[in-house]
Amino acid sequence: MHQADLRFQVQNLTRVEGEGSLHLLVRDGAVAEARLQIFEAPRYFEALVVGRTPDEVLDIVSRICGICPVAYQMSAVHAFEDLFGVTVDPATRALRRLLYCAEWIESHALHIYLLHAPDFLGYPSAVELAQDHRQLVADGLRLKQIGNRLLALLGGRAIHPVSVRVGGWSRAPRRRQLEKLQPDLHEALRLARATVDVALGLKPPEFEREPRLVALHHPAEYPFNEGRIVSNDGLNLPAQGWGEAFHEIQVPWSNALQARGSDGLPYLLGPAARIALDHGQLHPLAREALDASGALESIRTNPYRSIVARAIELVHVTAEAIEIADGYEPPAEPAVAWQPRPGTAAWATEAPRGLLFHRYEVGDDGKVAAATIIPPTSQNQAAIEADLATFAPRVLDLPMDAATHALEQLIRSYDPCISCATHFLDLTVQREARA
Amino acid sequence: MSAPPPTLRLLVCGSADRGDDGAALNAVAHVLPRLGPEVRQHLEVRRCIQLDANDLIEVADDEACLVLDTVVGIDPGSVVELDLDALADRATVAARSSHALPIDQTLGLARAVRGTLPRGLFVGIGGKWFGFGQVRSRALRDGMAAFELAIEAAIASLAEPVPA
Repeated sequence: MHQADLRFQVQNLTRVEGEGSLHLLVRDGAVAEARLQIFEAPRYFEALVVGRTPDEVLDIVSRICGICPVAYQMSAVHAFEDLFGVTVDPATRALRRLLYCAEWIESHALHIYLLHAPDFLGYPSAVELAQDHRQLVADGLRLKQIGNRLLALLGGRAIHPVSVRVGGWSRAPRRRQLEKLQPDLHEALRLARATVDVALGLKPPEFEREPRLVALHHPAEYPFNEGRIVSNDGLNLPAQGWGEAFHEIQVPWSNALQARGSDGLPYLLGPAARIALDHGQLHPLAREALDASGALESIRTNPYRSIVARAIELVHVTAEAIEIADGYEPPAEPAVAWQPRPGTAAWATEAPRGLLFHRYEVGDDGKVAAATIIPPTSQNQAAIEADLATFAPRVLDLPMDAATHALEQLIRSYDPCISCATHFLDLTVQREARA
Repeated sequence: MSAPPPTLRLLVCGSADRGDDGAALNAVAHVLPRLGPEVRQHLEVRRCIQLDANDLIEVADDEACLVLDTVVGIDPGSVVELDLDALADRATVAARSSHALPIDQTLGLARAVRGTLPRGLFVGIGGKWFGFGQVRSRALRDGMAAFELAIEAAIASLAEPVPA
């Protein structure tokens, strides 16, 4: 018996960052291809930074993303400081963690409440969701606002911050400025803890798989800026060593390079990977929330549970932000002196969506001669495609709209930022019969 | 003696370093000194590089709101004035990215969370050049006087509280 060709098509996937499409080819009832087609033109940031000084690079790479600009600055600044032998003031180190907390707060709140929750509750967007669940969306917007305020204080502005410099800051905040934010941060912690309950109440579709998970790991703290690259199958590399275990490939259907392990297999980054690999380093309040949730295993195996992982991380970053702000003493000088030196600068930090690796070749003139930037979404592409291929057979017998929605929801679970990777989504499922 | 509470919140959108995008900032800088103190005391001016739902949600119930920005989709230099509710109900091109919500969705989200939008207006001027470091276009500069007049008129119509 021959089945008729069948195509599912979603022209533009909404509630993801960026533009792209998904193509599913179903042949004789089986998924033959699952392609995440990223068609947005390359953005050439790696070329734009060539010939620039390290401090100029920090401002340029923050423009890669409006949601996670801090991540780009952090990977770059740590790479340069590692090459140049710069040791920053402990207060700068703490402030950089606080800056990352701010970004995670606004990014995770955006994804949980405005991008992902509507899927679980049956609404096409946060606007419709807000009509029936006004307080829920108001809480999400409030969390995002608090993250943005903290970001603006530390970074000079909420989007594309400008204060990070090699060696420290162009301007460090005063203690009083952080004290004034404490009521907001305590409110954010309260909202974050409530968010865990919200996320746990969202019923995930049944789907389990055993992904290869990769994240930074630091023995004493939840990973932001420092740590080793580890995996759940034994990988353990320095933050500079991404290229020893992973590589990029070009696939014809994506303008973003895909990353694979040295064995050619995909791997997954992001909140689920961090929770699975680093839950021992969570703030006690976040660890308490995780333990009470009983969701550690399902976060690892069910991609739809990433919303719970983000909620747990929201508790972590709000609690850590309170502690950093509480103990803050400004650095003696906003930035320590440094001298460039030629060589290879490389580092990885944890963006909200996962490990972000930068590598720069610095020339004798102290300027960048070559750059490689490997965002988390481009690394996650292959894992997303693998999960789509595994999950799709479960929905092919559903009505077209329901099947399409289920696949879109799965993709949104990874919080893809295609404008970082380059951009993303438009779904096509094609069924073919064998002659 | 404390100042009376503001009755009109100006939300001034745009970036001064991005060519025509800084038109609202520039216009407000010219308009405010021209207003009498009896009008200025009713105003609360806030900068928002990009209008966010929270900017509108936070407007007090007894406060009106005037949103100022540079826009695309109309002739550069021309001025547009719309009621906030009318703007929220206008269908705009669906955003493919969630990096920035289009203004109708920003207003729609604020309206859904707030219950209603604040009483208010949007006044915009058509822009042409938005690149980082660019100067303002001639077309926009030619329209700035009309933009400032429209802002003054909107302030005059909104600054007085509506009798209960």
